[in-house]
Amino acid sequence: MPAPDSALQLKTRRVGTKARAAFLGVVLIGLVGVLVIPPILTLLRTSLFEVTPGLNRGPFTLQFYVQLVTGRNLGAMAVNSVIFASCATMVSLLFGGLLAWLVERTDVPLKGLAYMTTIISLGTPYILYVTAWLFLFGRAGPFNDLYRLAIDPTVTLINVNSLGGMIAIEGFLWSPLVFLMLSSSFRAANAEMEEAARVAGASVLETVWRISLRLATPAILALALFVFIRNLEAFEVPALVGMPGRVDVLTTEIYRNIKSMPPQLGYASAFSVVMLVIVAILLSFYSRISKRAERFASITGKGYRPRPFRLGRARWAGAIVIAFNFIIVLALPLAAVLWMAIMPFVRPIRWTGLKLATLKNFAEVLSSPYYIGLATNTLLVAAGTATVAMMLTVVAGWLAARRRVGGIVVDQMITVPLVFPGLVLGVALLELALQLPVPIYGTLWLIGLAFLIRYMPYGMRYAYTGVLQIHPELEQAAGVSGASLSETLRLIVGPLLWPAIASGWLFIFLIAAKEVSLPLLLSGPNSQTIAVAMFDLWSNGQGGEVSALGLIWAALMTLFASALYVVLRRQSATTFGH
Amino acid sequence: MGHNPGWLRTRRCRYLLALAALSFIASAAFAPARALDPKLIDAARKEGGVTWYTTLVVGQIVRPMIQAFEAKYPGIKVSYVPAPWQETVLRLTNEARAGAVKGDLFDGGITFFPLNAAGLVAPYVVESAAAYPTDFKDPTGLWTANIIQVATPSVNTDQVAEKDAPKTLEDLLDPKWRGKMAWTDSPSVSGAPGIIGNVLMTMGQDKGMAYLEKLATQKIANIPAIQRVVLDQNISGQYPLVLAIYNYHAVISAAQGAPVRWLPLAPILTFGVIGIMKDAPHPNAARLFTEFNMSDEGQRIYAKAGYIPASPAVPATEATLKPDAGHYTPRVMSPLLFQEHEAEWVGIYKRLFQ
Repeated sequence: MPAPDSALQLKTRRVGTKARAAFLGVVLIGLVGVLVIPPILTLLRTSLFEVTPGLNRGPFTLQFYVQLVTGRNLGAMAVNSVIFASCATMVSLLFGGLLAWLVERTDVPLKGLAYMTTIISLGTPYILYVTAWLFLFGRAGPFNDLYRLAIDPTVTLINVNSLGGMIAIEGFLWSPLVFLMLSSSFRAANAEMEEAARVAGASVLETVWRISLRLATPAILALALFVFIRNLEAFEVPALVGMPGRVDVLTTEIYRNIKSMPPQLGYASAFSVVMLVIVAILLSFYSRISKRAERFASITGKGYRPRPFRLGRARWAGAIVIAFNFIIVLALPLAAVLWMAIMPFVRPIRWTGLKLATLKNFAEVLSSPYYIGLATNTLLVAAGTATVAMMLTVVAGWLAARRRVGGIVVDQMITVPLVFPGLVLGVALLELALQLPVPIYGTLWLIGLAFLIRYMPYGMRYAYTGVLQIHPELEQAAGVSGASLSETLRLIVGPLLWPAIASGWLFIFLIAAKEVSLPLLLSGPNSQTIAVAMFDLWSNGQGGEVSALGLIWAALMTLFASALYVVLRRQSATTFGH
Repeated sequence: MGHNPGWLRTRRCRYLLALAALSFIASAAFAPARALDPKLIDAARKEGGVTWYTTLVVGQIVRPMIQAFEAKYPGIKVSYVPAPWQETVLRLTNEARAGAVKGDLFDGGITFFPLNAAGLVAPYVVESAAAYPTDFKDPTGLWTANIIQVATPSVNTDQVAEKDAPKTLEDLLDPKWRGKMAWTDSPSVSGAPGIIGNVLMTMGQDKGMAYLEKLATQKIANIPAIQRVVLDQNISGQYPLVLAIYNYHAVISAAQGAPVRWLPLAPILTFGVIGIMKDAPHPNAARLFTEFNMSDEGQRIYAKAGYIPASPAVPATEATLKPDAGHYTPRVMSPLLFQEHEAEWVGIYKRLFQ
């Protein structure tokens, strides 16, 4: 029984903890505000002023907004955008989600293959994937080729440059990320309720439908919204797959306007301002849903490490899904890229072509100091960004999930950069950097800053859902036992959050390493990243060398990703006492 | 555009260009090799390096050019930033606005114009180009041609037999090509707008527009990359027929065994130029590198890589790439001529083909 004076001490300490948390909230609001608000103001200003031929600011105008409303086919493009984004989201969610559930919650074989596929594909730059799939499913690709050889020589079965092709490619592009994000949710799901359902006689399907899925709903909804928004502002697939087939979405219009000479940045910015408003509305819906999320908190102080479902004979159906994923997401595209890398020019896959095989492209990449510089830059900026972003978002995620002072504001503010298509954020930051007295234009610092702003929301999702799943009772227990705020965060929240932190770091590191659209306009001669150089080299006609570079880079990234995964597994084993 | 040099007087200019194009090989004036000012070389050495913003294909020409230059002038390191011309312009303009120009020199067909409009190009009269036709360089030295570019269609020879290949513009309207043609979406003289201009100038406004409207129903794919990438998709069989690739790229790939052949169908002759940035951090090295590009030695590197040298003294390795040996008559379309009509032709492209 505590002595009376220690009860008083406890109370004082609690008040002190609250004050400190509030202070933390205010500091964080300030910090995030400095990162997030200037690009928005720049965007607004760019959308409201004309541009001179020297790309300086001209007089005030509303013409870009008028253009937006009166622009040609805006309705059709908007409809295409929504169909594209929602269907591709469905593809990634169904496919990636099914995989995550199979791997994390069942006794399916080939789990290692699923992880390997995800890890390698996360390290592979999008542009490689997109060109590989374009090649595979293109008119001259092996699928159409086989169909013509075997069935009807006059028919092209698959038209990849169509809305369907775009949806499939974008969906597969994001399914490894969905897998990665959902697997941490499934891993931490509450086994007790599932056990109870099983004991009460529910089948696997019933348990999954009525318990597992319901428990994972907040995480799935959050993820769906994320992927949807990312698809809305997707740039690579609409440009490379859609444009040649004249399937226009809203971002195609932005891309065209930025690419036209002189660039129509005002129009693109006006578009982004409208998009910002729409996404803000979407996000407020999301916030309302997640307010009730505490109900779903499933990591409590009790034993919570789930037991896998036994699938019985269905194990092999599960294995087929994993094998299909391996083939379509990894084996086929990489084989296509390898083919492009060893050929002196791009050509259909034929045995006879092997005569011409050459390692020249690999030799060029490995011997050129240009590529080593690119690799160093990329590793530095991606690792730096991931570290800073996770440090920031763990605190922010805790404040938000625990509804501390400023938590909701911080959450909303950190999510704001989601509304920027990468290219537009690039433009906004470019404008900013050009006006800043600090000479950061053309340096890696600017690219790091851009990445931080762009990927904060992603780190936040990991941190926030991670904290949500830790029941507050653990922290309350720590508080009662006399732990200070920093001790609670460091000793309780931190270790329990480790899987989320590591996953988030890995995610940001890998995605930043392959980001193209954002650093495209920000990189100077000495601050080019691999992905930008790959995009530039590809569009400058260096396809073979890009393929070789991409393969080498993907191998390197796979090493990083695997090393991190090993650390993550070991760490989570000690955290969870297994 | 107010900054255009005075010799831009359309008809006369076109006439001069046509004349030059048809005669520059025959008249190949062999300029005596002049020794460069040693002061320039010294000053360039002191600068130690130069940064080249290039629209050229790195593996084909950028690297061999840099290797040769660095071997000849040890101590001057050339770094390169490869990108399509629009991005090159954006980057250089932004650097200038930030007051920190990092690129020293640039190349490309029409990269020069937006940069010059923003007042960012420094004049330098290239000594090595003294014997070039007058239309291949700006008299005040704002730009100098480094290569000749001939934009033509090409076919995949595995998919298109010689007798089936189109011979005239009318042939392109054949329903068998519907959905099977592609071109670059680059709004430049050797992209769709250049072809549109060629059609209008050849057929006249009314007939030309009627033709273009029919061509638009053929659903030509717009590839968001440079001509070389479009050609690669032709070689891979993605599109059996592509329009407006550079004929030398087709010959370079065919020599490596690629199933591709360029067609002398409505060819457009233009050229790529090099210019130096005002406030370039390494102005002397930039001048020296430009001199090297235009010298016989540099031009031979272009020729060896399969490109068509701008210098009348250096023949192309594959002579038939040029009009007289190839027995074709091109539409000569200088970047300046294109610039005059840019708004109109790009407008038609956007309206009918995008």
